Amino acid sequence: MQRLTRLLLACTWLLASGLAVAGDTTDLDRQARHLWYDGILSGYQALAREAQTFARVAGDYCQAPEQTTLAQVRDAWQRAFLAWQAVRFVDFGPVENDNRAWQFQFWPDPKNLVARKARALLTSGAPVTREQVEQGGVAVQGFPMAEYLLFDDAFGTSDQALPATSSCALLTAVAGHIADNSQQLLADWQAFRPHYLDTAQFRDTTLRAGVAALEILEERRLAQPMGLRGTGKRSVYVADAWRSGRSLAGIEASVRGLHQYFFPGLALLLEHSDQPELGPWIDAQFGEVLEHFPALRQPMAPLLAPEGHFGALQGLYVDLSQLAVLVNDQAAVALGVVRGFNSSDGD
Amino acid sequence: MKTPFRPAPLALTVAAVLTVGCTHTPWSKDTAAPVTKADVVEHYADLAYANYQDALTTARALDEATDRLIANPTDANLEAAKQAWLAARVPYQQTEVFRFGNTIVDDWEGQLNAWPLDEGLIDYVKADDYQHELGNAGATANIIANTRINVGGETIDVSNLTPELLANLNEIGGSEANVATGYHAIEFLLWGQDLHGFELGAGERPVSDYVTGAGCTHGHCDRRAQYLDAVTDLLVSDLEWMVDQWAPGHDDNYRAQLLAADANDGVQKMLFGMGSLSLGELAGERMKVALEANSYEDEHDCFSDNTHNSHYYNGQGIQNVYTGSYRRVDGRLVEGPSLSDLVRQTNPELDARLNAQLEASMKALGLLKAKAESSQAPMRFDMMIAPGNAAGAKIVNGAIMALVEQTGSIEQAAQELGIEALSPDDAGHSF
Repeated sequence: MQRLTRLLLACTWLLASGLAVAGDTTDLDRQARHLWYDGILSGYQALAREAQTFARVAGDYCQAPEQTTLAQVRDAWQRAFLAWQAVRFVDFGPVENDNRAWQFQFWPDPKNLVARKARALLTSGAPVTREQVEQGGVAVQGFPMAEYLLFDDAFGTSDQALPATSSCALLTAVAGHIADNSQQLLADWQAFRPHYLDTAQFRDTTLRAGVAALEILEERRLAQPMGLRGTGKRSVYVADAWRSGRSLAGIEASVRGLHQYFFPGLALLLEHSDQPELGPWIDAQFGEVLEHFPALRQPMAPLLAPEGHFGALQGLYVDLSQLAVLVNDQAAVALGVVRGFNSSDGD
Repeated sequence: MKTPFRPAPLALTVAAVLTVGCTHTPWSKDTAAPVTKADVVEHYADLAYANYQDALTTARALDEATDRLIANPTDANLEAAKQAWLAARVPYQQTEVFRFGNTIVDDWEGQLNAWPLDEGLIDYVKADDYQHELGNAGATANIIANTRINVGGETIDVSNLTPELLANLNEIGGSEANVATGYHAIEFLLWGQDLHGFELGAGERPVSDYVTGAGCTHGHCDRRAQYLDAVTDLLVSDLEWMVDQWAPGHDDNYRAQLLAADANDGVQKMLFGMGSLSLGELAGERMKVALEANSYEDEHDCFSDNTHNSHYYNGQGIQNVYTGSYRRVDGRLVEGPSLSDLVRQTNPELDARLNAQLEASMKALGLLKAKAESSQAPMRFDMMIAPGNAAGAKIVNGAIMALVEQTGSIEQAAQELGIEALSPDDAGHSF
């Protein structure tokens, strides 16, 4: 049985190679862009769907808190947030419009702007309007603001805790904004199709997006809270989604998103490069990273504590670093991707 | 690259926009021999040397002005100290382009220019208007009011405020926001917290904060004076060290190392410094974050409201490195073989474009500066980034876009000069 599978795999491999040899690089690149386009499309569809659900459930809860529970809203938030994590690597195309990526998730937020902005909106007296959210800047508009309202410990025990009228108004306005943004992003991505498929430059742009996302995952989302870079201090606050304890679940979702939506196009290009062995290695390494889950789908803070199970994070970090080396150093070089300055160079 | 979408301010790849109108006069126009990379790197070291010397001279003037303030705390002396601080920022901000790429500078500069800082580590703050870094155990330690502080379980004796002690207190408790030294700590000691939010107005520390005896306000005036004295002394000695690193005629300083290495490495550092400051740091961290989040917490010179000048002179530093020219604080012009000369030898069109883009970004930053300094209706950076201020956002975005455009050409210049990988040695910045 196993031998048969292997044989079948080998056949597909040959078939695929044969196809590409027949065409030229341009065709191959176009095929890769097709794979990426479709992958990202399904990712954006999932985000639009989950964000819609989140907005609906938040609305239901605020209308009739006795019928819909806070746990249900939190669950809907998490699904939408994780759907966003899966497509967060896309840093080009319509997500660039009006800083949509930051509108979905303003991060990092070392100065706790989210809480500060929430306090300012909620203490003004009048119920928060949708327009205030539209005008309120990226710290008001996205998943972290909703997360603050739904999960923050101090806020949850204050007299403004959900389902207080003003907090509910803010929650539904933010959820509505996220849902509309997701819907618009999907529509724009669909309109973007011919341009993406016809523009050769998007091969490198897409490859760079995957590379940058892996770097951010390894360095900023994992090494930094673990205290492995910067000042060397462990701090959960520099991770994202610490209020909901979903930092690691978010990492998992981003890695899955990269595997599902980014890897197929990369694999196709590698298959026809000088280093065809890289594709299966990278695939296997994605598997190594994902093997840490669902066991590691837990809040990061206890793992960072002195008596915590830090080793579990180290294991994930090692596997994620190896994945980053394979993709960012080896594959990118094999595919001749020249890296330029990027927007996260600062400190 | 033409897309149906408006390109984002910080797109990874940058559309190269062809512009004309170059005003830069090439240094080598009268010289017959072509400029070499080694010439250009050597002149780069000269520029850095001149620039750090100016930073040192103006820091000494600041040190003297604060000494006078401490000896005789009058409004006039406080104002003179503030003016000296503002003057010291002019050369220092131009040196920031040397920071990225030259690890020796990057490792050193945190003690001089780290931001944003949790000022409650240093002195009193108004509690309900003070937002510090999450999880920072030292954010309210108040060194001035205490002879012992406890940060994250560690007790430290701070009874004697010396430059060495302050240097050791930087990043105490593992938090980058614990900035005990440098320009911004001095800025806080001179201006105090800016409690005006998005409205016009900077910090308003009363001079009586330095009056000893009965007239002292907010307590501990003698320790505040001691702190200011130590922190300005430290700034001077730090800058002395950096000037030495770039001085000619030594065989064991950084300049000697840089000139002994492959000239391509030097050219790479120059371009890396220009691009990193231009895109990631200035356009990104210092402008876009503050603008898009409407966050005056992310304003660079938040106590003095001098952010427009910090940005302007950062931009000037980038242009200096490309054109090989630097206007010293005494008015003299330092000129020599430049990256511009090198690029022009093989690709005059690219050189003209990049020069025009550098001019354009200086014009955009100049507008930001002019609006902020307008005598009629000043709009400071923290007002420009207020929610709903479309006119302000337009000015900031104009500067961001100009910096993004020039970064695209900086990448092309690197390719033109055969610099394959635009990555730093070891600066810890991601690419």
